Amino acid sequence: MPSDQNLSADVVIVGSGVAGSSIANELVRAGLSVIVLEAGPRVDRQHFVENFRNLENKPSYQGPFPSTPWAPHPPNQMSPNKYLHTTGPDAEAYQQAYLRLMGGTTWHWAGCAWRYLPSDFELKTRYGQGRDWALTYDDLEPFYYQAEVMMGVCGPDPSVEDLGSPRRQPYPMEALPLSYAGEEFRKLITEKTPWRIVHEPQARNTRPYDGRPTCEGHNNCMPICPIGAMYNGSYSVYHAEAAGAQFIPNAVVYRIERDAANKKVTAVHYYDPDKGSHRVSGKYFVIAAHCIETAKLLLLSADEQSPDGVANSSGHVGRNMMDHTGVQVTFISGDKALWPGRGPLETNVIDNFRDGTWRNERGAYLVHMVDDNQVDFATQLAISKGYVGRELEEQIRYLASHTVRLFSHNEALPDPENRLTLSKTEKDALGIPHPQVYYKLPQYTVRSCDHTRSVFKQLIHLMHGTDEEWTPGYFPQDHPSGSTIMGVDPRDSVVDGHCRTHDHENLFIASSSVFSTVGTGNITLTVAAIALRVADTLKKELLHG
Amino acid sequence: MSLMRRDVLLSGIGALAAWGGASAEPALGGSAPPVPAVDPGLARFMAVSHCLTDRTELDTAVGAALYAGMVEATPERRAQVAALYDLQEKHRLITASELAKAGEKADKSLKDAIHDIMIGWYRGVAGGKVVVYRTALMFDITKDAIYPKTYAAGGPFYWTTKPPEVARPTGLPALSPSPFVVEPT
Repeated sequence: MPSDQNLSADVVIVGSGVAGSSIANELVRAGLSVIVLEAGPRVDRQHFVENFRNLENKPSYQGPFPSTPWAPHPPNQMSPNKYLHTTGPDAEAYQQAYLRLMGGTTWHWAGCAWRYLPSDFELKTRYGQGRDWALTYDDLEPFYYQAEVMMGVCGPDPSVEDLGSPRRQPYPMEALPLSYAGEEFRKLITEKTPWRIVHEPQARNTRPYDGRPTCEGHNNCMPICPIGAMYNGSYSVYHAEAAGAQFIPNAVVYRIERDAANKKVTAVHYYDPDKGSHRVSGKYFVIAAHCIETAKLLLLSADEQSPDGVANSSGHVGRNMMDHTGVQVTFISGDKALWPGRGPLETNVIDNFRDGTWRNERGAYLVHMVDDNQVDFATQLAISKGYVGRELEEQIRYLASHTVRLFSHNEALPDPENRLTLSKTEKDALGIPHPQVYYKLPQYTVRSCDHTRSVFKQLIHLMHGTDEEWTPGYFPQDHPSGSTIMGVDPRDSVVDGHCRTHDHENLFIASSSVFSTVGTGNITLTVAAIALRVADTLKKELLHG
Repeated sequence: MSLMRRDVLLSGIGALAAWGGASAEPALGGSAPPVPAVDPGLARFMAVSHCLTDRTELDTAVGAALYAGMVEATPERRAQVAALYDLQEKHRLITASELAKAGEKADKSLKDAIHDIMIGWYRGVAGGKVVVYRTALMFDITKDAIYPKTYAAGGPFYWTTKPPEVARPTGLPALSPSPFVVEPT
């Protein structure tokens, strides 16, 4: 169906998550015209809260967010999956979950807002592993702070609790107080181990901030904060729209058009839900469509000019897929009642394993003691054990107050063999192929996970734990990265240090897909910092030539 | 608590509305005149439920919705609840433990029905669907310590305070153990 519209803007952005919406907000406030194309629908918080309350499987983070036929996302982390098809020896370890909705996947993040460590950007130089980024921590530091201000990040005073990422300014908000469970865990770690507990920096309000309220501890950061005390991408959408950016929902970009020389992008084409096709032209283009969908779109845009896909002269689009693979155990503490789940989901972290000389042989990681309400888990567990009546109620109270869950984020390495391609058999309602990923865990990550298990066993012993339930295998942490990897050499990377594609001078990528390594700690703050740096570059080029 | 006929009638209407509608919280039938179409199974379900929870008071509106959901998903639950009721009456069983043990001994399939009844009242789930969330019994028995997710009301930073200690339970399970399957995230 031909388009009857003539859409055009200075900058056209694909994707309305944290990256796309924050770039839009920066550019429109600098006087530039911006169009953002979002594949999924416009949505509202209370609808998701209601969905959550009606959801039988409460731990299902994707559950409250049904996808649309024209912009499907994975329904869960099950393998096989109805959308993201994973193969290879560790297929289940790459069964990522994400959302295609206005505002993006941060609808169900936990708000953990880590800066990477300086060493994370120089893994090859310092430890002989993986790659170096084509930028340094110092290049990104001002944008980390800008992202923290944008999101409203609370964190510890660096003079008291140094998280290892040098800061020029304090956190915008004071750190969130640890829960009783977190504080008891901190005491145990401090007194009985050589490690330490730190306050996790979080995009969560410890005072009213940016028109949003102070966190009330609903314990539902994932899958949906009921009051908006936690930042998500929708707030950047609202700010950008208020300033005049145009966001078009249900706009599924399927083609990136270039000029005759194949040096500049001239337009993107999108389908509406009825498969009507629309062309949107611009001066600059930013793909900010999540690691999986960004690589998918570049591959989908293959044509005679670029038979292997747009921006893919290196052949590295879709390769180097990484994640924070996790180890997880649940057990029953034999010590005092902790009652996890009072307050936000994640407040405390063991950060001793984020860096060390051992990174020349095994990956870094961090450990969460999850502050998750265990009442439902305890109830199901006690019923399965055969309890009824009064005895069941005693068990529920005991198990809910003594269940401890630990999990880790373990570092991956970029391996070109870990690759995203387009499915040859599975397509969505618009006829667009589903993504598929081959995944084999790097031995570097496996060794890291082995180390984590030994640490978890020590912690279980210290807490006189029983009833250990280890999550089988390795599980994905939904931090996919690397699919359009950054580097200085156009022969083995897709974007340069400014996230500009090597192949097309006006095409940028703002996503975890540009990560050269994946470090430790949740990736969103780094995604936002990179995006704001892209916005800074675009402003300089568009406003000052 | 004796089950009043009027309670059953009203809650039956409420349950139908709750089961057919989008709301997780069933509402009573209000002032509308009751329709005289009472499922006798519901009275048996309530009697069995009182026994299996060791509780004298259970919400009849919730019970009607749970029973409707359970029977819709698994029709044989109607006969199984009747069998449990007969056991309870015949042997004058008083405690949850007595009834659960007698049920599993008489017919292994009754264990599944007992599980469903426990899941219904304590989790607020029937037939894989949420009937009630905030008012499920699992939250009633923990309300001195913790809030159901999305319903916190303790004020800023309430989570730093010390929650109640809980003694190690001494009671024994009444039924044989079953596999515990953690649902996918």
